[in-house]
Amino acid sequence: MTDVLKIRDLNKSFGGIVVANNIDLDLRAGRVLGLIGPNGAGKTSLFNLVTGVVKPDSGSITLNGDAIDALPIYQRARRGLARTWQNLRLFPSLSVLDNVLLGPRDYPGEKLQSLIFDARGVARRQAENTEKAHRVLQRTGLGAVAHSRVQDIPYGQQKLVGVARALMNDARCLLLDEPMAGVEGQAYAAIQRVVRDIAESGVAVCVVEHNVAFVRDLCDEGVFMFAGKVLARGSVTELIADPRLTELYFGT
Amino acid sequence: MDYFLTIIILVSLFIILAASFDLIIGYCGLISIAHPIFYAIGAYTSAMLAKEAGVPVPVAMLIGALAALVSSIVVALPSLRVSGDYLLIASIGFQLGLIELAKHFHEIGGAGGLTNIPPFLIREVGREAYALLVVVVALLTVWFVRWMATGPYGRMMSALRDDELAFSMLGRNAIWVKVSVFAIGSGIAGFAGALYAHYFRFIEPDQFGLLASSAVLTMVVVGGMRTTWGPVLGAIVLQTLPQAITFFGLPPSVLGPLQGIMFTGLVLVFMFLRPQGLIAASDLWRGRQEGARHD
Repeated sequence: MTDVLKIRDLNKSFGGIVVANNIDLDLRAGRVLGLIGPNGAGKTSLFNLVTGVVKPDSGSITLNGDAIDALPIYQRARRGLARTWQNLRLFPSLSVLDNVLLGPRDYPGEKLQSLIFDARGVARRQAENTEKAHRVLQRTGLGAVAHSRVQDIPYGQQKLVGVARALMNDARCLLLDEPMAGVEGQAYAAIQRVVRDIAESGVAVCVVEHNVAFVRDLCDEGVFMFAGKVLARGSVTELIADPRLTELYFGT
Repeated sequence: MDYFLTIIILVSLFIILAASFDLIIGYCGLISIAHPIFYAIGAYTSAMLAKEAGVPVPVAMLIGALAALVSSIVVALPSLRVSGDYLLIASIGFQLGLIELAKHFHEIGGAGGLTNIPPFLIREVGREAYALLVVVVALLTVWFVRWMATGPYGRMMSALRDDELAFSMLGRNAIWVKVSVFAIGSGIAGFAGALYAHYFRFIEPDQFGLLASSAVLTMVVVGGMRTTWGPVLGAIVLQTLPQAITFFGLPPSVLGPLQGIMFTGLVLVFMFLRPQGLIAASDLWRGRQEGARHD
């Protein structure tokens, strides 16, 4: 099984607060890894470090064998790294479809010269992307709301828009930040099914989630983080059963 | 007749300025009010090339636009790499600094202004031809801004305005989009400046200062940001109103400040009563290829 994302000796602190303390972590193709730990353990910070939102103090991150530490956020995305956000971060002035259409690694018309000198090529690729976007929307159960504004659809579906937007990237590595927070009913099952599908297609998936049942049902493996450190790695059932970790999690 | 042609030219020039400024501040959400300095760079570059180097006016005009475009990149690139807020500070500093510099630079006329700028078309064909040229450029600008705003770039600009971080995480180069939009808008302003210079044949540094900034901003805000016809309407209303007051025969000492008060007053009135401007933009972006959607 190949390692898609490799994190080595990653360190980051803000003043006295350590959010990453010598983190070593691998994400493997076709596997779903769950990041668990109490609030403030450094889970979202780890996503921010990997995606380039925050610069690490030291350490290395490679994606498919290439160092990505020095790259800006958008270039990491163009190499096949996609993520969703805890607080959604959708584009409210765009419809669901247009939110998703911004997701492909190569966006037709981003280069101004292509808009002018290759208008046909841009239009053709735009049409291909629109078709692909509709397929992704069908797959995520959002087909019926493609033309709705994102703030008009239920919260669970909004979470799915974030996932659909990331899917357009054909990512090799997908980071999901609390995909289940505030989600219930149909959307819950849809997210679970979509994430499973994505992993089975060979993508390395990492999920930060507080919903223990979701993590247990979905993840092949879990990692327990506390105070910026990876304390344990193993099956989720084992991690949950470990009284030492439960104590840290609940602070009792 | 000449008076009305001059009004048509002035209104059209401000339509070019307001529409290109709407691209920057409205569609792309880049906060800068230094638009008139790029107008000035286009005007001075074209005027100096035609006057001192004998460059044919149309060529000088294009170089003027190019100079505005290049200088806008020089201002925008370092500030936008840090954060969007720095653009406002950097661009105002650039605007006021350059105006002060121009005032002390006698080769380009200093504070007294640059005179005897070579005319274009007026002698050979007539004022009507020049007016037609400016009107055509204004219509092309309005069409171009609409084309940008409703195409793939429009979608990117909307998303960038909403959430730059999420936009970058999708693989989109936010700095490139911002700098290119700023440069295009500024380049168009530079061309408008060149059109101004070769018609009025006199330019002075002070006319490109903060009063001009507030005039263009007012046109966009009052007309309606992020709309095709808002800046056009704003430019027509705000360029003809001050002209209308001149018919009351007020002394210049009253007239100048009165026009200034009118601009700021209008912005305040609109902010309270109709913040979306005369023409309201839709809060949901729509591309031009509506018919091409598969559903």
